[in-house]
Amino acid sequence: MSLAMYYFLTISAIYILMSWALYLPYRVAHLHFLTVANMLISGYLAGYLVQSLGFAFALALVAGFVAGGLVGYIVSLFIGDAPTFTVVIVGFTFIYISRTAVENIKAVGATMGMFGLPMVAGTPNMHRLTILILVYALIVVVGFLIYRFEHSRVGRAASVVFVDKDLATSMGVDIKKLGRLVQTFSSLIAGGCGVIYGFIYRSYHLDFFTFHLVGIFMTVIFVGGYTTMWGSLLAAPALYGLSLILPPAVASWRIVIYGAILIAVLVLKPEGFITRRLAYTLETTLSRWRKR
Amino acid sequence: MNKKVVVFFLVLLVSVSLVLVGCKKEKAAKVVVEEWEVPFLNSLTGAIASIGEYLQWGAERAAYEINQAGGIAGKPVKVIGVDTALEPQKGVVEMGKIVEWALVALGPVPEPVIMAAAPIAVENEMMTMTATTSLEYAEKFFPWSISWFPKTADRLPPLSRAWAEMHPDMKSVVQFVGIYGPWPGMAASHVVGIEEVGVKYLGDVEVPQDAVTFGPLVVKALDQKPDGVIISCWPDKAAKIVQELKSRGWTDMEKVLLFSSADDAALYTTGGADLNGTIIYNYINVDQDTPRWNAFKEAYQKDHNGLQPPSLSTNYYDAVYMIKRAIEETGVTGDPKKLAEERKLVAEAMLNMKNFEGLLFKWDMSNGVPTNKPGYLFQIQDGRKKLVKEIRP
Repeated sequence: MSLAMYYFLTISAIYILMSWALYLPYRVAHLHFLTVANMLISGYLAGYLVQSLGFAFALALVAGFVAGGLVGYIVSLFIGDAPTFTVVIVGFTFIYISRTAVENIKAVGATMGMFGLPMVAGTPNMHRLTILILVYALIVVVGFLIYRFEHSRVGRAASVVFVDKDLATSMGVDIKKLGRLVQTFSSLIAGGCGVIYGFIYRSYHLDFFTFHLVGIFMTVIFVGGYTTMWGSLLAAPALYGLSLILPPAVASWRIVIYGAILIAVLVLKPEGFITRRLAYTLETTLSRWRKR
Repeated sequence: MNKKVVVFFLVLLVSVSLVLVGCKKEKAAKVVVEEWEVPFLNSLTGAIASIGEYLQWGAERAAYEINQAGGIAGKPVKVIGVDTALEPQKGVVEMGKIVEWALVALGPVPEPVIMAAAPIAVENEMMTMTATTSLEYAEKFFPWSISWFPKTADRLPPLSRAWAEMHPDMKSVVQFVGIYGPWPGMAASHVVGIEEVGVKYLGDVEVPQDAVTFGPLVVKALDQKPDGVIISCWPDKAAKIVQELKSRGWTDMEKVLLFSSADDAALYTTGGADLNGTIIYNYINVDQDTPRWNAFKEAYQKDHNGLQPPSLSTNYYDAVYMIKRAIEETGVTGDPKKLAEERKLVAEAMLNMKNFEGLLFKWDMSNGVPTNKPGYLFQIQDGRKKLVKEIRP
């Protein structure tokens, strides 16, 4: 596999996972931008553990997941049932706070960043293979968990919360508990993604974790479809790939192109390309075909 | 002397000459490429597209001149702009493609893309010339990168010291510091220079990347009653800080020092006449009068509505000439089968290149670091820089 293909596949996978990390809280109408801060915090933590304290990558990855989940859980205690706007503000604030904290911590390179992270396996090829397997295994596991969530009572409860919180409360749904669950899980995923993201580049720089990422993940969710998990799976590689294949003459217009796509989708297909109805049709067709 | 001996020596001389000429011809004939293609991993779109444009312009200008003069080892050279749009995600994919074929690459630009993409060049043992960043970034990728600047702690103190020495009555200084990449380190080096001549440093005033109003920052700085001010942040923000200083009664403009990274078009377009009298340091002297520089300056101004070439516009111009010299000195052929071997030859030639004829001055490389590049202090007047002092290491 060429290097370009490797980077395309791994970064697409990170985009898918991170879009899911945003998608999941959005099921209860939360735009949980804290996930980008989770990436940053867990990424730098893992980098420090591996580079300065000599931890094995696997341990650092676990630490990254735990840190992500822990930060997500603590924050969710306060914003588990908060309105959408509050969750957005908290997310943005955390991105600022975590960036400022890293800027001032010399042990993790401050504004310079962290260089020369070690390979996770013995040779460059093994390193890439390990990262590739890891990130796609994570997609399978996280995808399975989200799929199960969506087909569970909790998932259906989340759908009601999305439509009307009061209605959900009157039906006995514990909104705060549900909010905490999805926020914590999404932060946990984001923590792991932050670790892998840095080890793909084998370095960390604050500008790897900017508000630009929020824009990318939001576009993926809204173009792909925010009512099912499948939209992100298709839109993440498609939108990332588009930025890579645009000819130079058109490339400078890519933000306009993304914007136009987003507007067109919001106007013509407000639920995105993959709607719940489409996903349901595909699922039942597939099910019938398998029975035959 | 015996006639036979004379004839023998003449024949020997002619034979040796023929062999030498033959060798030279054979060396030139070895080049297998029809054209030397040099990829330039640049930010041609996005937030720093204006900088990327003139970096690209400089590299292409060098290629144009080289081609006019017969090319590299007799073959034309082409600089291929590869846009990363300031995104590491795009930078790694593009670098992944480049390392499959390129002998040497220009860029990446700027630091986040360097950090993501340069390790790929290192892993594939290909020289990637990061000519706009500080040594502290470039050295992490040695020997597959070279630095365009000496160590920050060596090159900046003499400049800030020279500025402080211009003002014996200046007893205390405050500094505005943009929190980005190598700038805090540069700011610390300014302090070393002024303290060497007994000036008291009052402290930093941090300039956030997203700052839009500068009144509170300037009030905080002036509250410490400084005699002088150093500004180490983004060009447009530096201009706004100067304007804010003036609006709050600051008159001694010579006691305002702007650092090199602020020396960009945005500084002059934003600051206008408010910058008059301020001092700025940099590494190219735009007032030099040499045919080569004059031709460069004229061509730049023609293509850029009369604007002066910015300080970084010469970096990739020189980088392309450095590639030319490395290829011609090592006799590499561009043969894809010898790619690994020839990459190494080119890199080794660059790491210790001596007497390199840059656009503005000659310099030596020592293990990837330039050893004798000068620095300059200028005074800004009506959007132009007037040389005040040259500082040689």
